[in-house]
This record gives sequence, C-alpha cells and structure tokens, in this order.
Amino acid sequence: MRMPPFTLHTPDNLAKAIALAAELDSFDWISGGTDLLPNYKWKLNPKPDVISLSKVQELTALSGTVIGAMVRIHDLVENESVHPLIRETAGTIASVMIRRSATVGGNICLDTRCYWFNQTEEWRRSIDWCHKCDCDTGADCRVIPNQNTLCVATYQADLAAAFIALDATIHLASASGARSMPFADFFELDGMTRNVLKTGELVTHVTLPDDAKNWQGAYQKLRLRETWDFPEAGVAAAWKIEGGKIAGLRLATTGCESIPGDHSELADGAIGEWAGKDSIRELAEGVRKAVKPVSNTYFPPAYRRKMLRVLTRRALSPLEHL
Amino acid sequence: MGKGYRQAPGKGGSSKKRTDGKRQAGQQDFGVPGSGGSDPHSKLQDLDYVPESVGGWKKQPRGPHVHDRHVTGTTIGKSVPLVDANWKMTGQAQYGDDIRLPGELIGKILRSPHHYAKIKSIDTAAAEAMDGVVAVATGQDSVNKFGVLPVTKDEHAMAQDKVRHVGDLVACVCAVDEATAIDAMNSISVDYEILPSIHDMEDGLLDSENPIHDRGKYHIGESNVQKRVFQQFGDLDSMSTAPFRHEADWEVAGLHHGFTEPHAVVAHWDPSGRLTVWSPQQVPHYLHRALSAVLDIPMHQINVHRTFVGGGFGGKSDPFPHEMCAAILARKSGRPVRINFDREEVYWINRGRHPSRIQMGVFADDDGRIAGIETDALIDGGAFASFGHVTTYYNGVLHTAPYEIGGFNYTGARVWTNKPASGAMRGHGAVNSRCAVEVGLDAVAEQMGVDPMTLRLANLLPPHSRTITGFRITSTGMRECLAKVRELSGWDEKFRNMPLGKGIGVGCGFFISGSGLPIHWDPENFPHATVHLQCDMDGGVTVHTGAAEIGQGSDTAVAQAVAEVLALPLDMIRIRSKESDTAPVDLGSYSSRVTFMNCNAAIRAAIELRDKVMKAAHEILGHHPDVLVIGDRRIYYKHDPAVGVSWLEAVHKAQADVGSLISSGAYRTAPMGGVHKGAAAGLAPAYSFSAYVAEVDVDVETGFVKVAKAWAAHDCGKALNPLAVKGQIIGSCHMGMGQVLSEEMKYGRDGHLMNPDLLDYKIMSVHEMPDVVPIIVESNDPEGPFGAKEAGEGPLLPILPAVCNAIYDAIGIRIDELPVTPDRLHKRIEKHCKKMGVDDPLDLPIPRYEPSPLQQRLMERAEAHAARDHLRDIQEDRSSYVNGVLFGFDPDKPMSEQSDGWRESVTPTAEDLADPKKRAARAWSHVERRYQGDA
Repeated sequence: MRMPPFTLHTPDNLAKAIALAAELDSFDWISGGTDLLPNYKWKLNPKPDVISLSKVQELTALSGTVIGAMVRIHDLVENESVHPLIRETAGTIASVMIRRSATVGGNICLDTRCYWFNQTEEWRRSIDWCHKCDCDTGADCRVIPNQNTLCVATYQADLAAAFIALDATIHLASASGARSMPFADFFELDGMTRNVLKTGELVTHVTLPDDAKNWQGAYQKLRLRETWDFPEAGVAAAWKIEGGKIAGLRLATTGCESIPGDHSELADGAIGEWAGKDSIRELAEGVRKAVKPVSNTYFPPAYRRKMLRVLTRRALSPLEHL
Repeated sequence: MGKGYRQAPGKGGSSKKRTDGKRQAGQQDFGVPGSGGSDPHSKLQDLDYVPESVGGWKKQPRGPHVHDRHVTGTTIGKSVPLVDANWKMTGQAQYGDDIRLPGELIGKILRSPHHYAKIKSIDTAAAEAMDGVVAVATGQDSVNKFGVLPVTKDEHAMAQDKVRHVGDLVACVCAVDEATAIDAMNSISVDYEILPSIHDMEDGLLDSENPIHDRGKYHIGESNVQKRVFQQFGDLDSMSTAPFRHEADWEVAGLHHGFTEPHAVVAHWDPSGRLTVWSPQQVPHYLHRALSAVLDIPMHQINVHRTFVGGGFGGKSDPFPHEMCAAILARKSGRPVRINFDREEVYWINRGRHPSRIQMGVFADDDGRIAGIETDALIDGGAFASFGHVTTYYNGVLHTAPYEIGGFNYTGARVWTNKPASGAMRGHGAVNSRCAVEVGLDAVAEQMGVDPMTLRLANLLPPHSRTITGFRITSTGMRECLAKVRELSGWDEKFRNMPLGKGIGVGCGFFISGSGLPIHWDPENFPHATVHLQCDMDGGVTVHTGAAEIGQGSDTAVAQAVAEVLALPLDMIRIRSKESDTAPVDLGSYSSRVTFMNCNAAIRAAIELRDKVMKAAHEILGHHPDVLVIGDRRIYYKHDPAVGVSWLEAVHKAQADVGSLISSGAYRTAPMGGVHKGAAAGLAPAYSFSAYVAEVDVDVETGFVKVAKAWAAHDCGKALNPLAVKGQIIGSCHMGMGQVLSEEMKYGRDGHLMNPDLLDYKIMSVHEMPDVVPIIVESNDPEGPFGAKEAGEGPLLPILPAVCNAIYDAIGIRIDELPVTPDRLHKRIEKHCKKMGVDDPLDLPIPRYEPSPLQQRLMERAEAHAARDHLRDIQEDRSSYVNGVLFGFDPDKPMSEQSDGWRESVTPTAEDLADPKKRAARAWSHVERRYQGDA
C-alpha cells in the first residue's frame, strides 16, 4: 500500500492557509488525517497538494460554546467544559488512538462512505469503478445503477447528529470572507459534493447557543463493535426541561444517508401533548419513516431503519415519565 | 500388546503381529501408547527413580506415564514466558517484511480483475522497457503445478491459460523501488475473454461447460466437484426410527484467519547458485518441496528460511504462488526480490474456513443414547484445492467422538467456485459441523426433558477405546472438563432459569493432536518429527528442529522438553528452528502436531544426550547411572546428594574423545486406523477434548449478543506450560467468538468480496471479549510427551455451540446460521415473535426445563460410566472397548456378525443418495471420467 505522492503545505496561520488555498488548483485540507490518509492510500481521489492545518492556532479554541475545527476529538471527550452530549458522542468515535489524531473539523467533513467506494484501486478496477471515483471512465453508481447523478454514499460521522440536536452554528472561512449557518444547512444531499464548502473554504469552528447548557441529551449509536466501527445509524436527542415539562426537544440522525438528518420539527411537534412512552414510540416511528438508508454499509438497510426506531426510543428514554 | 486397543472389533491380536518390521494399518492391534515409534525407549515408571524433591512419592490420578522417570522438576508444568517473547516485545524479531538484503528489488503481482476469464494474450513489453524494471514474469515462466496436497496439485505460480478468481495471479514484475514496480505492473496489458463464473456452491455441483479445473480422467463428471466423501458406519435403521430427532440446515459463512502479519517473502539466489527463500511459513518443508517442483531444481539447492511468523492459524500453511513468483523473479533478475502483501491481497490468497451448508441430524433413542449422527456437508472451496481434500473428510469424521454413537452417516462434497480459495484454518474442518452437532444435542436433550450436561456425560466414549470409524482414543478428560465447567459456571442454578435475554449454554469439542498419517510422509522411511541436539564445551544445548514457531510456542515447548530431561535452566537451551539447511525435517505447524510429535522426538534426543553425560558421570563418580540423579546443572548420587559432579564437568569428560556431543531423536506414530477408503483422515495418535459454558446477554430489541463470561475447560493431557495453554484457550475463545458472532467474508451481488480489510471484516475487539476462565484438565496421555496433547485448535470448537445454545436459553431461538450478526438474529426474533403471537419481543416466552424420568436414569448411567472410566484410566480395567458397547455389542467380535443392520460402507448406493434435501449427496450423481466408458 503506497501513499500517492503529494506536496504538503503547512501554513502557520489562518490567513496564510486561506491565501495558499486560493493559489492552488487542486488540493485537500488535512487536519488529523485519519480519514484522508487511508483514502489516499486507496487512491480515492488523491490531490497533488495537501494543506495541513496543524499549525493554524486560530482553529483550536475550545470552551462551553465554541469548538474549533482543529480541536482533537480526544480533547472533547476529556474537557469538562464541553457540553455533555458532545462529550458522550465524541467518546463513541472510532478508538482512543484515532481520537487522539482526529479533529472536530475532520469529523464534520468526513468523506461519505460506501462498500463500492472504500476499496483499493485493484478492487475498484474489478468492478469497473464507480461514479464517486470513476478515474475518468464515466462509471455509474454501483449501489443503485442507472439512477441519476446523485451519489448515495453514506455520511457516517457521529458529531454532526449531536451538533444538530444542540442547534449549533457552523462557521466557515475563505478568501471571499467568513460565513455562518445552522449546522444542518452545511450539508448537501449528494455523496460527492457532501457539503456547501467551496474550493478554498474551510470550517473554522462550531458554536453552540448560549443556553446550550440548559439542554440535556443522549446519543445512541448502532455499530457491531464498541470501537473502530463507523455508525451504521446514530440518533442524537436533546431536550430542555422547564418546570417538570419538556420545553424543547430536538432530534437528529446520522449514518443512514448521504447527509445527517434533522428531525427537530417532528420532535418539536410532539411536545405539546407529550404522553411519555407513547409519544416516544410515535416519534421513533416517525424517524424510521423519515430516513431511507441504502445497501452500502455493513448492516442491511432494512435493519438500520428498524434500529433507528430502537435507538430513538432509547435516546428518549429519560423522557418516558414526563 | 495392550488389550485395550482394538484396531477393529474381532480383528487384530498378537497372532497377526508382523515380524518383518513393516507397519500395516488395519491389520494389527493399535500400538501401545508410549511406544512412540520403532524404538520404545521407555519402561513403565519405577517411582524410585523420580527424585522425591519433585514429587516422586505422589501417585498420579490417572496412573503413571512412561516419561515420569525423565521428569526432573525443572520446567515441565511451570508457567514460563515463551523463549522468544523478548524478541517480539522489544521489536527485534524479524518478520517477513523485516528481511532486507543488499541490492534488493521490489516485486509486485498483477492480479485478475475478473472472476473467471481466459487469458488470450499478455503484453509485457511496456513494463520491460521501463527504467528501473529488472525482470517481468508470467505464467509461461513457470508451468509446473504445485499444491499442498500431492493428490490435488492444481496451482501455478501465475495463471497459465485462465484466471479463476478476482485477485488470481497473472504476472509479476520486479523493479528498483515500489513505485516503479507498481507503474510497471499497471503497464502490463492483458486481453481476457470473460467466462461465466460460479459463485454459489450449489452451482458447483452441476455440470459445467467450463469446469474451473480439469483433472483429466479423475475429473468428476463435468462438474466442479473437487472431492466427495461417503461414509456409513453402524446401525442406520435405528437412526431412522429414533424417537428423539433434531434436524437442521446450517448456513455458515466463510472466514479468514485475520492474522496480524500480511504475507511477505524474500528470495535470493546466492553466488553458489543456491536459492534461499525467507517467508513467514507454518510449513517450511512443504514450501521446500513445492519450490523444488516448480523451479525444477533439487531440494538440496534450496534453503527455506522461516522468519518470525506474525500469526498463521492455518493461513500460512500452503506453499504460495507469490513465494514462487519471488523465486522466479530473483532467478531472472539475479538479485534478491522482496514481495510484501497489502491486506487486500491477504484476503485474495485466503485459505480460510470454507463457507458451508451443512445438514445435521442428531438422533437419540428411548434410553437416552445417541442413536446416530447424519451429516451432509457441502463446502465451498473457492478456486483451488488447497487442503480441501482433508477438509471434506474432517467435516464428517471429526464428530465421531467424544460420544458413543449408534450410527454415522456422512456425505460430504467440496466444490470449486470463482472465489479466493478456502483452506485450513484453526480447528480445520471440524468447527462448523461440531457446532451443528452440539446444537443438535442440545435440542435433543430438550425433547427428552434432560439436562444437556447429563445427556453428554451419559454418552461419552471411555478412555482407551475406539470410535465407530476406527480412531484410537487414548486418554480423554472430557468428563472432567464437563464436570468442571458445570460446577464453576453455576450451571445447575442458571440453566433455563434466567430471565429473558440472559442465557447459558454448553458445547463440547474433540480434535486431533497431530495427524497420524500426514501429507508428505512415507510411513516406512520418515519419522514425523526429528530433533538434533548438540552440546559443546560451554555446556549449553543447541536444539536443531524444523518445527515452525508461529507464535504458538513450539520453540518454548521443545526447549522445555530438553531442559526437563537434562535438568538445565531454559537459558542454557538454544533453539535453531529457522533454516532447512540446519534443521532436520519437520512436517510443520498444522494439525496441532508440533508439541506432541516434536517434544516426543526431543525427549528421545535428550535422553540419548543425557545417557552420554551420565556415563561420563559414572566414570567420574563410580556410581552406576541407575543410582545417579540429574538435578539443576549437577549429577549426584541418589543416596548421598553430596557426592556429585557438575553438569559441565561431566560434559567435558564425555567430550574427551568425541568432541561436541550430539544426539538425535525422532517420533513416528504407531500403525493405526481402519482399512476403508479415507480411514486415515482424522487419525491421530491422541485427541484433545474440551467443554465450554458460555453465558450471554441478548438484546432482544436489536439482536445484539454479548458473551458475558465463558468457562473454558480443555483437556491438553498435561500442561507443559500452563501459561501458554491458557493463552491458547483465551485466544481460541476470541477467534471462535468472532466466527459465531461477527466474522464473515461477505460476497456482494456480483460475487465480489466486499470486506477485504480489517474494518469491515469484523474481528472482535477487546470490548467484546468476555471474561474467559481457562480451565486446564490433564488426562495424562500415554503417548504424549510427559502426557501432553494439543491445546492450539481444539479449544476453539466448543465456544461456537456454547454461545448458540446460550442464545437458545436466553430467547428460545435455535441458531442455524453463522455468524449470528445482530441483523440476522433480529430477523429471527421478528419471525419468532410472529410465531409466538407477541408484538413486543420483550414479552417473548423463554424455554424452561422440566426433568423427565429419563434424566434420573441418565444421571445414574453417567455416574456408572464415571467409575468405569476411572478404572480404565488407572489401568485396573483395560479390556478392549469399542464404540458400540453401550448399544450391547461385544468388542471382541466383528460388528457385522452381531447385527444384521450393521453397515460399513464408503461407496454409496442409489438409495443412500435418494434424499433430495442432501446437497453434497448430489456430487455422487456424476461419474468420474475414467469410469465413463469409451464415451
């Protein structure tokens, strides 16, 4: 397994990084490298230039409401000022070793994954490639052939669900300036483009609403092994209790489609006439119906959908008796 | 001749003893255990000779052992770290990928992107013209066939006329660096004509226009059947009418070994014109033979150098095509060539456990006896034969023990498909069908209303007996294994007594301890294992052995055996086991043979060396060796320990006229087994036994199974090194748990292997590992070195059925598909809910246990059998015993004379194959070409 050759750039501040990005034709950002480098070794769309963010100090802020893109996931788990739901979710990502390298920004921008894509070059040659990495052959999608131009590779990052559940805002920067948006709006329903990042743009940090500390939450993750494995389905729930009643409820899913799912509207609609277990059951069924996984990860899609129901129920179980 | 061993009921006996020294299986009585071959060195122990300091006064619970008088209390039975542990821990062990020779070239292999295709042409011109490329080779450079089994050689270094699976080798290049080699490899153009490929094993049973291999006149019809087996023994009629029956149709996924170190090889032709190949091989000797055959050079011009092996588990026991490629490229280029595999290539060479479809019938009669086992096993061999010939037998014959059975009816077939080749993997051939048998027993016990523990205990073959197909059972600790796990797990309180989702289950296992008739072996000429010792003036002993240390501890075991006899500390023993140039031939690390055979050879060699030194001590001290005791680096007079001589002094005296002391020891098995076709498969000089209890938590809403705890009792005869045995037990549990719960080679809808990597090939992590309680049972095998038997493979078998049976206890679902991944179990739970008429799986009813009157009878029988077995162990009763005595047969008369229904057949009749459900039986619908007449 050989790394394809690339030129590594290591700018030491954000301005230089952005300037450099504007100059290069084709490049990737690299932070922890735990996603990018394995993909490069498998020749999955490697680029001639790679810009490392490891020396960019502006991206490492960490507090109760601000999380820099270059914060290591391990530090999220260990830092007590971080929101408990974020910490819990971060603690389920990959393994401790990987978490020590992997970063928040890298996890948010995780490349989408697919059985027909995350394979070596020789393997992909044996299936005549696929359209996410077609090596100029114009190959079709291997999951759902003859469909359309969309890629159905699955977004399998955990943190996104928690950020959406906590109503976080994501902040981007590029040569044309900074911009911000609700976390869920960052993603684009296509396994190839994945998100709204333009060439030369990067995620700088994520902020949580000021009252995030009043929200509690839970994250439930489906995976075969309690380490390493990407989420085959993930459900994050966050709620706010006021006067013994649910004052706010948000739900998000990940690991099932090309983008994470925001089901907060559905959840919010349920709190008016909250009926404990029954409401939870109904919500869980709603989530199951809203999400449509395809057959491109370890577990079959039908099972993953059914498990969404169970995971939602379990995430919301603290609200059973309200 | 001991009376206890019958080669066949009514046959054998001293009158038929041959005097010409020839060894003829099937005609003589089994050899007396402990003879260990043609030179029975050992007399039965005279307790006087064992020094009191090491427990000479102790009576052994299972009687004395022939090696007792060689016990010096030095290291046997003590937990010692493996002798090569520090090399590994400090990173100084050299594995395949660590070998670097000056001027090396990097080799790369071009592989097939097609499942099945004819090669019309290969153009290597562009590659050859590239700067930095030194040599290119294709199938034309090596036309000789090879294969691990002499009867099924069907591999070439590279494809000759067609490729048989994605990843099959097409060509290879070597260049000055890896990048150039990859570029060169990619510049080779191959013109293929794609052929229709076969992916489902049942399609392999059909006639094909283009069978994957052509075996000439031995080809079975026009099909892809590589091997078929039929065996019928016993009273099949009572099987078909048995009142308690469980029949299941198992689907078992293929498995890969998942060893840490990918394959790697370095080949170099030295200035003397000799070839040296460095490879992490389990079986260097077979590689040696295959290299000679493929390269057309005599064996004496080849030195096979085994590197440290980063895990093998059967996956490094074939001679491999990439090893041939490295040698071919090295010959062409005149420089050393190194080839390292990527992980994906490891899956393409595979040789893992066969994907299997097994129909298993377990039947029992009104007396709670196992009336019979009926098995039909169709196994998917992938594109090459590998060990498959043997695997096809093992799927059946390895469940003829540990239970006494009324009948045995086996049909097995192995087919070629366009997948990476299956082969031998830890527990070779026995694992899948053992799981099916043990789950069947559990189901039958439930039908009877008896405790599955009791059912097993009341049907065990006694020690010193013979199985239904003619295996010689010497020692067995099966009963003790069961008793221990029953007690330690709290079985009696927990069984069928826990809430929904919590369950407990038991499973047993039985495995060969060395293959009695190994692959490349001439029973008249070669021993199975040979050990040479050399002791020079420094007093240390160098052990030359060909046994392949693959992490299992074979270097340590042989060092311990020598150290024990010579009463030397382990650091005075040096192992040289790596090179064929300096090591006597050993048949390799497979079939769990090394400790048993190599240590027996080592003991023999050490005794010879010791006798030389004792003779010298005699000359110095004036006391006869019979009254001399060898202790820690000192030889002294038994009745006055103050009178003695140091080891070194005695060694120097012994060397006075001859220089360095050398000795040689060898081991070969006694003639064993029946005379029917296939009688040699599964034959072993001893067998290991094990029983596990597993406790599981099943999440009924998600289908997740977590093994909470496992009690794992294994009878290894004698734990030479308890630390190593426990390590093997725990490691086996981990591997077996992977197979039962998560590991599988997944093939996509187009036949592609979807998970050739360690992320999606799900090996259990530390989080999934239960608390394993390793329990060592010592049955003191009469032929094993110091009583030892294998502990490397057998301990894997019982964890699978124990978990399956525990799942049944927890949620009432009988498993018949492996692995039991959450999605599969969830599907079963949904179906089960429907059947039981419940909406919420949390409301599922769970099985409960009401003992029937039979339970009491079986308990009494188990107790009587325990007393019987004890007497047989301590040699007060060694009357002959064969499978069938429990059913009223006389062991001293031929079975067929005692029952009209008795059958012993290895060729099926049409009636035998009539059952349309039996898949493997369909393999017999074809006629081998040589019997097809002129057409």
